[in-house]
Amino acid sequence: MFVAAIALVLALCSPASHPIVAEILYDAVGDDTGHEFVEIFNPASVPWPLAGVRLEAGDGAGAGRWSLRWTGAPGDTVAARGRFVIGGALVTPPADAVAALDLQNGPDAVRLAWPDGTTEVVGYGAHTFAEYFCGAPAADVASGESLARVPDESDLGSNAEDFRAATPSPGLANLPGRDAALVGGTLALDPEQPGPGAPAILSGAARNAGAEPIAARELELRASEVRPEGEVPIASSLLEGALAPGDTTRFALPLPGLAAGKRLLRVRAALAGDGSPGNDADSLRVRVGPGPLEVTEIQFHPTQGEGEWVEVRNIGGEAVALDAFSLADRRGAPGAPAGGSGPLAPESLAVLAQDRLLLLAHVPALDSTRVWQVRPWGSLNNSDDSTGIADVVTVRESDGTPCTRVPYSAAGVPAGVPLERRGDGTWGPATDPLGSPLAPPRALPPIVGRFALTPRRLRASNATASVGWSLPWPRGRIVVDLYDFAGRWVRQVIPETAVSGRGERAWNAAGIPPGLYVMSLIARAEGGGETLALRQPLRIEGSAP
Amino acid sequence: MIPPGFPRRAREGSALRKRMARCVPRAVVASILGVACLAIVTGAARAQDFASPAPAWPPRPATAMLERGLPAADPGAAIEGVTTRWHGLAELTTRTAAGALGWRALRIAAGLSQTGEPDVGWTALALAAGAAGPAGGGALRAAARRDRTTPFGFDARGADVGVEVGGGAWVEATPRLHVWASAPQLWTRGAAPPLARPLELGAALDLGGVMAWLGRSGVAGAPGGGRAEHALGLATSAGPLDLWLAARDQPLRGGGGLAVRARALRVAAEVESHPVLGETARMALAIGGAP
Repeated sequence: MFVAAIALVLALCSPASHPIVAEILYDAVGDDTGHEFVEIFNPASVPWPLAGVRLEAGDGAGAGRWSLRWTGAPGDTVAARGRFVIGGALVTPPADAVAALDLQNGPDAVRLAWPDGTTEVVGYGAHTFAEYFCGAPAADVASGESLARVPDESDLGSNAEDFRAATPSPGLANLPGRDAALVGGTLALDPEQPGPGAPAILSGAARNAGAEPIAARELELRASEVRPEGEVPIASSLLEGALAPGDTTRFALPLPGLAAGKRLLRVRAALAGDGSPGNDADSLRVRVGPGPLEVTEIQFHPTQGEGEWVEVRNIGGEAVALDAFSLADRRGAPGAPAGGSGPLAPESLAVLAQDRLLLLAHVPALDSTRVWQVRPWGSLNNSDDSTGIADVVTVRESDGTPCTRVPYSAAGVPAGVPLERRGDGTWGPATDPLGSPLAPPRALPPIVGRFALTPRRLRASNATASVGWSLPWPRGRIVVDLYDFAGRWVRQVIPETAVSGRGERAWNAAGIPPGLYVMSLIARAEGGGETLALRQPLRIEGSAP
Repeated sequence: MIPPGFPRRAREGSALRKRMARCVPRAVVASILGVACLAIVTGAARAQDFASPAPAWPPRPATAMLERGLPAADPGAAIEGVTTRWHGLAELTTRTAAGALGWRALRIAAGLSQTGEPDVGWTALALAAGAAGPAGGGALRAAARRDRTTPFGFDARGADVGVEVGGGAWVEATPRLHVWASAPQLWTRGAAPPLARPLELGAALDLGGVMAWLGRSGVAGAPGGGRAEHALGLATSAGPLDLWLAARDQPLRGGGGLAVRARALRVAAEVESHPVLGETARMALAIGGAP
């Protein structure tokens, strides 16, 4: 009695010995027109004619609202263990029968009515009327996903049990017996930008997307470089372990040294009897050697209201268009530069700014054609995570090819002081506490003592001196003031500013009358009570009024 | 009681000096007024080549006449050597030698000074001439400066030369009150001086054993002369010792000095402490002048 009841329930969803509804795409991304399809699967070992079969769409908003979408013509046949796709003109690969299905998003249903009077109903969404589903309706799927029967012959007596969201696969098995797939977006190169001829590791993830296990050394991962003339194999490896259905595993392919420049790498999962070749491959754009731009200065924690900014330099031999690049932090979406003008000449500097106008207002002397606004701006982090990295500044070309990538640490960088790439390629706090946008970094020579003023004699007409310091602490705060010979305060040279231990800043003495002055530097250790008071004489030459 | 070294004894001098005492005040008052009219701007004191460690009043025979145009009341000869370390900077040290001669009412003085290392320093030659008596005095002073370009201080080939001319005067307004005015840079040409010094006005009051003085000097370039520097001080003597304390504003700072006299020899030292720039120290050795 119990077994009979179970059998009765099963019979309600798909008629015995008939082809079955295998996949429905009712909500394509964007405009559905031409993209919708219904796939019929014949699990039998003999072909099944579809002449007279009616495909109806049900509107779950009311009872009895079924409307015909397609009727099988003489000659329409679904092959043994084959699939027959009824769909719009834009279905890829082309549908076996083209029809405007105009399927509604849930709660709605599809019904297959066979000439012998049997029917199969597949309902999706939250239904009120029982005629639109079998057992329980399948869950509504997101736009762009299909409602697929998984496994392909599943018939558990309930639409909710038999169908689930899947990537649309018209004409292909929803769950092939054997299917190895590369997990999209998992390919990565380590190092991300290897040097020319230097080895690297190409890694990624592979998944057993089939219903059957994959034995050890049965799956081969083949890497190739895609060139205009075709794919050139560069590495391959057999997966040593077995892979159960649904399982995912990581792989790593050692690559030989590649030539400098942009490269497109592709990895294929090769498995004998793979039932779904469409998910076997994935590609990765990489760069070998340096890109045309390098990051030279990073202001990640501005304190003067100028906004964050990143300075880049064109190290290629040709001018580059900055709007063909993108800038991103570790987690943010890439931002596109705009607002500057003209190509960036070789060896020239440009600034990519969070707020171009703010930066130009703060530093009016900047060449505005080389200051670019980046939107969206990935806010750069000010403090390190557990790995010792605060953030990663990444510059890519518009096609996604890496150009340069700079992970940086904020540890020990005084607030407001940018990070600067030094001449030897290392990074450190900028020697000028306000940074030097659009100006190259300078290697600071050692100074005699802790406080230096160079030169100490200025002509009033050319009154620029360099104020340098070498504190006994890695970082601190300084304030520099100017007094006349009699000890009266004249002008502030550097307001209280957080600085690194060794630093220098240009100072213009314009407007100061000729005479002898004393410049005072008072320094305080960051986080400590130690202070330092230093002085230097300054002579400004000029004629008596 | 008037401390030793103050010009009380001058009032007890010869008949000639008494006659001068009657006629000098009018001339000195006129001189002060003239200097004040010429010097529309106000200026600072004690900041350059010939400043010596001493109270603001009475003026030292050589250095005060060269530095401020204020002649000493007493005649006689004196020489003085001074060294000053400005704001604790060894590279900003002044070495001065000055001499003065007084005969009757006539006063003359000359001095040579060198300040700082070659890249910031200069050499100065100053001359002053004037007249003084128990009731007042006045002098003109002139200084020429040439920048140092070599470690040897007097070789300044190619350097710019600057000249300044000014003067000062004082008067005994009452037996216990002295007032003075000094405008040491009424006329300047060539290279600008290390410090602009317009008008200084001051008054010293004998309080009986203690001399108190007040001074006001402006800051060159300050709009309308609105920013002025003020000074006050107290001085006293005990046997061969002279002691004084002084304070100034802009910014507030103070110091003190000590002088020891033994016959014609005087040794003095003075320290002024600046809240930011540290200490300025002066030492002097003088022979002659008022005891």
